[in-house]
Amino acid sequence: MEDMMYELLFFLEVLFSGLLTGTLYSLVALGFVLIFKASGVFNFAQGAMMLFAALSLVGFQEMLGVHWTIAFVLTVALMVVVAWCIEKFVLGKLVNQEGIILFMATIGITFFLDGFGQTIWGSDIKTLDIGLPTGSIDLGGIFVDRLELVAGLTAAALVVSLAIFFNKTKIGRALRAVADDHQAAMSVGISLRTIWIIVWSVAGVVGLVAGIMWGSKLGVQFSLTLLALKALPVLMLGGFTSIPGAIIGGLIIGAGEKLAEIYIGPFVGGAIENWFAYMLAMAFLLVRPQGLFGEKIIERV
Amino acid sequence: MTYQDVKPGEVLLAVDNISLSFGAVRAISDVSFDINKGEIRAIIGPNGAGKTSMLNCINGFYHPQQGTITYKGQKRSAMKPYEAAAQGIARTFQNVALFKGMSTLDNIMTGRNLKMKSGIFSSMLWYGGAQKEELEHRRYVEDIIDFLEIQAIRKTPVGRLPYGLQKRVELGRALAAEPELLLLDEPMAGMNLEEKEDMCRFILDVNDEFGTTICLIEHDMGVVMDISDRVMVLDYGGKIGDGVPAEVRANQQVIDAYLGGGH
Ligand SMILES: Nc1ncnc2c1ncn2[C@@H]1O[C@H](COP(=O)(O)OP(=O)(O)OP(=O)(O)O)[C@@H](O)[C@H]1O
Ligand SMILES: [Mg+2]
Repeated sequence: MEDMMYELLFFLEVLFSGLLTGTLYSLVALGFVLIFKASGVFNFAQGAMMLFAALSLVGFQEMLGVHWTIAFVLTVALMVVVAWCIEKFVLGKLVNQEGIILFMATIGITFFLDGFGQTIWGSDIKTLDIGLPTGSIDLGGIFVDRLELVAGLTAAALVVSLAIFFNKTKIGRALRAVADDHQAAMSVGISLRTIWIIVWSVAGVVGLVAGIMWGSKLGVQFSLTLLALKALPVLMLGGFTSIPGAIIGGLIIGAGEKLAEIYIGPFVGGAIENWFAYMLAMAFLLVRPQGLFGEKIIERV
Repeated sequence: MTYQDVKPGEVLLAVDNISLSFGAVRAISDVSFDINKGEIRAIIGPNGAGKTSMLNCINGFYHPQQGTITYKGQKRSAMKPYEAAAQGIARTFQNVALFKGMSTLDNIMTGRNLKMKSGIFSSMLWYGGAQKEELEHRRYVEDIIDFLEIQAIRKTPVGRLPYGLQKRVELGRALAAEPELLLLDEPMAGMNLEEKEDMCRFILDVNDEFGTTICLIEHDMGVVMDISDRVMVLDYGGKIGDGVPAEVRANQQVIDAYLGGGH
């Protein structure tokens, strides 16, 4: 009896920790979905944006010796400038091109951001410390990592505010309009350029928040961009155009891989966490190619 | 850029010698015509005559290679769709271009886009003010919904509506912009008789009550001759007739090319 109780608590602990990590996957996937919905661009640079944002935050903190909140505001402003430049110098010039060409362009942006980030902020691993709590806390018998808890709650708060923004404001409505039909959106005076700059900025800010959380956990280093690739199985699961899909997909992948690591890992020799997400997504893809909530892929005008 | 106010009966929009090609396809060749403030102006012609292309030139989707368009006294060779919308040109599309995932209400609200002033920062930071503005515009949109008699589908995602109602919602979205010039691309296509009559009534009411200038494309000759003040006829990209309905109906070239052509 005691044993079973213990087993159950342990299971919940693993599950919870997986879900909290999952919120971070959701966050990165959300950045992808926003851009894909509004402009049909598969943004390979999402991971690079996350790293660049985290690097900039640490850089501003160190260079100016300011409180992290000020560095945060500066970084947000920087990400808006990056979004503006991407629209102005890259995507704005490629309107009406094939999806694959736009995708290649975002690979270019990835390398540029990686290189540019290192040039201005240096290439060594940086510790990101904005005073997030460490250690774990006891939630009714389940031990939860405090950092994971904060990360999970922050991600949830961000997702909720984005949902309100997109559903209740003029800009949000314009964004959904652009996602549905470019020509009709233009006919009511919505400027595609402005909307694109806004989604890239929002994706930049989402990347910043994800970067802060991952960076606090793992240090700000190049491998963060690889973590962003975890968003791929999340997208396969949730569908490339669905915001709820990104959120739920992230949770499933996060929880799934932690549980697999603990319960299946020992039988197959461990390290399952690295590939489980992809396997799960592949299996899912065979059954439901459009993802959990995916819609038909939009046509770019 | 200075646009001038135009009084009823004066020329609101003048198209002068425009030509538009897509590679070897000549969609419009050397067409001139004008639209007077307050009138209902029809464009007719067989399939592929260049009617839709003409509307696309007027609202800035297409840029004619030759010729000019003068709108409210401002001459230009091309204008952006955004500027056209900002200057009071609204439109509907031949193949209904609604925002399928959004409700009727939200679709029509997008038509208010340019009337709403709060920008991105105020809508994020100063949520209360943006909300107040949202409610004011909502009231205007509810009036349009009443006018078009679509209260019952206010909250329905438009993708689920039958075609006839979708066309009505699309008209609502265009009206929400309080346009000075309303372009309608086959507003009655695919409708049954009753739906057509409703649509005719809405078009006439909009024209009457708000003085909105309307330029419409329509294949149904009965309707066109009934509601239009003047009719222009296109065929193979060229203009073959222009005048009041009686004149056009008597024009031999038009009879040969179009009215006699099995329509
Ligand atoms: N974007 C485009 N690219 C290539 N060709 C085009 C384009 N738009 C129109 N055309 C061509 O221009 C010609 C005129 O087309 P348009 O759509 O203006 O005709 P229409 O009078 O509206 O016909 P319908 O009654 O069938 O709607 C056609 O030959 C059409 O194929
Ligand atoms: Mg047409």
